[in-house]
Amino acid sequence: MKKLIPLIVILLTIFGLAHYIAPKLPPQTELRPLGEFYLKNSYFGEYSAKSPEVVTSILWDYRGVDTFFETSVFFLAIIGSLTVFRLNKKEERLAKQKPKEFTGGLTLVVKSVTKIIVVMILAVSASIALHGHLTPGGGFQGGSALAVAPLLIIAAYSKYALEEHGLDKTRALILRSIGLLGIALVALVPLLTGGFIMQNQPIFPAEIKGQLVSGSLIYYNLFEFLAVGGGFTAVFLLLAIPEKVFKEILGVGE
Amino acid sequence: MIEIQLIILLILVILGLIFSYLAILERDLLKAVGFSAVQAIAYSIALYILMAPDIVLAYVAIAVGIYTALLVFVVSKTTRYEVV
Repeated sequence: MKKLIPLIVILLTIFGLAHYIAPKLPPQTELRPLGEFYLKNSYFGEYSAKSPEVVTSILWDYRGVDTFFETSVFFLAIIGSLTVFRLNKKEERLAKQKPKEFTGGLTLVVKSVTKIIVVMILAVSASIALHGHLTPGGGFQGGSALAVAPLLIIAAYSKYALEEHGLDKTRALILRSIGLLGIALVALVPLLTGGFIMQNQPIFPAEIKGQLVSGSLIYYNLFEFLAVGGGFTAVFLLLAIPEKVFKEILGVGE
Repeated sequence: MIEIQLIILLILVILGLIFSYLAILERDLLKAVGFSAVQAIAYSIALYILMAPDIVLAYVAIAVGIYTALLVFVVSKTTRYEVV
């Protein structure tokens, strides 16, 4: 019971503040000029990104460089965690071997459910990423949804199941690098035809065979999807190495 | 009829606050991770009511899935109970 007293005090303070401050704040009745510009221009208008999804067109077109650097920060974070876990080739082979006490993951029920759910997650994440220029969502959202699928497999089966089927750390890193390279290339392509870095319209085609692809937005979303999914998967594969194996590799006793 | 949405929003945000408070107090770190996941679910529904579907899609995957799993990995590599 004693634990709840600070909680009640916090709640009362918040309610009190809300009661006194909220009526004094001026209500926002008009659109800000910048917001109005984005709303009017994202699909129609002179500075169009040819995308009905305003958020994605801001992320990858109007404020594209912001997102580019955000992605670089994410990569530096991934590279940092890979450096902490660095292993040479022999140690990596050691980490891929199953330990003696490995029993084969969770029960049959969990495994069967995981099989179905993983397929569903893959489909949903692809739809979030590849429809990012039409509906809410985009590369980062889709990529982080994609990363949940290997995570579920690691939890239900084991990291060895993933590695036996070909998705090991190196492959995940290759996927991540393809994504980053793709983003950089798509950003540089407009320079060839006399445009600016990360320019979208009119250099990239807005429609392919009658399907709205919003110029460069779909390429950015696709590559960001691969990059984020691959990066997270690599980190999870490293984190899933049992602590005991790590201690053996590093030669540190209990 | 905006009142119903506002009341649901209020309940969810208070729920999130309560669960984050519990997560801070809890000594069993696995339970604390669970509390933090409940807080994340409450906030993701709150964000949906606030009409920010882009944020919801990222928040659900990161805060409920990846963040929770990362913390469970960390707990499994260290100790389960917080000792002061």
